Amino acid sequence: MAVPEHDPLTGYKTTGHEWDGITELTTPIPSWWVTVFLASCFVAVLYMWLFPSFATTGGYYRGSLGWSSRGDLVDDVAAGRAAQATWRSALVATPIEAIEANEDLRRFATTGGRAAFGQNCAPCHGVGAGGQIGQFPALVDDDWLWGGTIADIYQTIRFGIRSGHEEARDSAMPAFGELISAQEIDAVARFVLALSDPTTLASRQQMPGAPIYATNCAACHGAAGEGGRDFGAPRLNDAIWLYGGTLEDVRKQIVVPRMGMMPAFTTRLDDETIRMLSVYVHTLGGGER
Amino acid sequence: MSWSETLDLRTSGRVVVRPDIPHGVSGRYRRIKTALNVAMLAIFFCVPWLRWDRGPHLPDQAVLIDLPGRRLFAFGLEFWPQDLPIAVGVLVGAALLLFYATTLAGRIWCGFACPQTVWSDLLFSVDRMIARVAGRGPGERRLRVVVWFAIALSTASGFAAWFNDATELPGLIVSGTATPGVYASLVILTGTTFTLALYARERVCLHMCPWPRFQAALLDRDSLVVTYQEWRGEPRGKARVPLRPDIGEPGLVALARQASDLGGQLAERGDCIDCTRCVTACPTGVDIRNGLQMGCIGCGLCIDACDQVMSRLERPAGLIQFDNEAGLTRRSVEKPPVSWRRPKALVFAGAALAALSISAYGAATMPGLLVHLDPQRNPPFVLMSDGSVRNDYALRISHRLARLDGVSIRIDGLDGAKLTLSAGTESASGTPLVGLGRDRSADERLLVTLPRGLSFGGRRPFDFVLSSQDGRELARVPSYFWGPER
Repeated sequence: MAVPEHDPLTGYKTTGHEWDGITELTTPIPSWWVTVFLASCFVAVLYMWLFPSFATTGGYYRGSLGWSSRGDLVDDVAAGRAAQATWRSALVATPIEAIEANEDLRRFATTGGRAAFGQNCAPCHGVGAGGQIGQFPALVDDDWLWGGTIADIYQTIRFGIRSGHEEARDSAMPAFGELISAQEIDAVARFVLALSDPTTLASRQQMPGAPIYATNCAACHGAAGEGGRDFGAPRLNDAIWLYGGTLEDVRKQIVVPRMGMMPAFTTRLDDETIRMLSVYVHTLGGGER
Repeated sequence: MSWSETLDLRTSGRVVVRPDIPHGVSGRYRRIKTALNVAMLAIFFCVPWLRWDRGPHLPDQAVLIDLPGRRLFAFGLEFWPQDLPIAVGVLVGAALLLFYATTLAGRIWCGFACPQTVWSDLLFSVDRMIARVAGRGPGERRLRVVVWFAIALSTASGFAAWFNDATELPGLIVSGTATPGVYASLVILTGTTFTLALYARERVCLHMCPWPRFQAALLDRDSLVVTYQEWRGEPRGKARVPLRPDIGEPGLVALARQASDLGGQLAERGDCIDCTRCVTACPTGVDIRNGLQMGCIGCGLCIDACDQVMSRLERPAGLIQFDNEAGLTRRSVEKPPVSWRRPKALVFAGAALAALSISAYGAATMPGLLVHLDPQRNPPFVLMSDGSVRNDYALRISHRLARLDGVSIRIDGLDGAKLTLSAGTESASGTPLVGLGRDRSADERLLVTLPRGLSFGGRRPFDFVLSSQDGRELARVPSYFWGPER
């Protein structure tokens, strides 16, 4: 058995093992190293106590400081909001029609609106608000189903379209497939297409679809296809076709109409954000004054 | 150095003890240094007070570094961050000029123009003045600290004036209404001036500055450096020892030899009487008689000190002088001329000239109007109700032209197109007018609409033309229009 021996040269003990006359010292770890190591251990325990550090059966230990990165984010957002407080309150205090006349307010609103648009509107209407044919209307053009003044847009964003909100814009087009014959549908579809073709201006009233249109469609879409914004009835005499502009597309839409739905954002966003969105959408190029 | 009463300086022969301040000298180089110091301190403290009228909404300070506004005003010029290449050219040119000067005449930058030297030199003379007024001792030391602190604080304030309105700054600082940045820079710069320029002084040159480390790479046998003329100085001896006959006047030498009791000591000496004035006058405390060394900043004060002694001994000046390596064998008190026509010097001069010329050209041709006009590609085009086709463009514009309140925009090369702003004003002539407010920039959405009959498939180039309100064309931006394929 190895017996530790005292080494007279260094003053330390040896391990007691000997290999070919060579013994090994058990030089102790330097005290500064031990001190630093113990201090590090203490700091580690301190960290565990102060900060979220380990899982528990019901979740995790939150630390005595109650710190979390999520909390930091909330604080940062609140600080950002506080920094914008003057602008935000001005946005709410100004009548919606008057916001754009104030250069600074318009800049603030469009900048904030651009960000909010990316989060809330882009999934359907597209990042550039170009819409999607057959799905969602473009917001950059001058064709508005429910009105394109900033007050109309504000109203639409707040309460939505067919959203179920009690103040939502709502209407329904009957499914004419059950009401009139396929032959009549074909005739009226041809007449509807002729409405947007200026070359048929003189001859279109002689088309077989004309009386059918006057009876069934003109009440909402207007005698000349000028549309009815009170009911969200689209213009039929323009170049824009949300659900497609071919004869087959128009016929399908008459048989079983598709009607868009947009959620009410008043339950999701605060009033300032909705106002920013209204200004942003209104200044995209098609806004009416 | 300044806290110890004296300083031990190792010369080649013995240890020289001098006060912690090098003693003052007078002479040619002292006069040059004083003139340069006054000039440079005047530039540092006075330039921010110069005024320059730029019209409304703009600072009227001739030279102003506007950090929050990210712009630099220099008299009639205004620089923006994107003009950095101009600054790079100036800095490269300045570095090459430094190399050029070093090649010609050693470290004259260090000795005469470096801010560290200017402030150190100022403080050495201030300290000498304090010593004269208060005498040596603890009272002197207390007085020094007060004066140093005042100098450090005014240096920091002078520096801050380059970044703020100099006329308003003193009032703002005193009333406590200056920005936190001003107070932070005051604290930091007072601290650094106090420690580096006032307390450390020449130790910065000796131990911290990297420049002495590679000066040797720039010097050659034709560079003028402070040189001890060993051929006429050695051997050193007391003034009463007769001069070496080869340098002295023969009659005087014989007279002196008779008069002196040599007693087995030095029989004759060179011009150097080993008075160590050159050592005690040296701001970095080197003994130049040991030859060129890293501690020598080339200020020439030892030359003045030695020339004073030489004139008192009625010997020709220039035992220590700016000389090249050849001077040590030339054995003449005549000063060698600066040798300009060396390939190395010419290359540095040419490169510096090129870099500075490029910068000057860049500064002279800086665009006054910056325009970003990006076609919006999502969607690439918009079909309108009446069948016309519209393209949208994001316009970001900023300018640094004098007195420009708005820019009118028209289209060139797209017949029949109508140009509108999504939210903006139209001028009387029908071209959209982009207003540029007090921040001299605008962010607008431009709409270009082609009527139904004129639209086309694919892409067609055209130009946006931006003009000032008086009709002067400011910029022409190439762009394109997309139409639907039918």
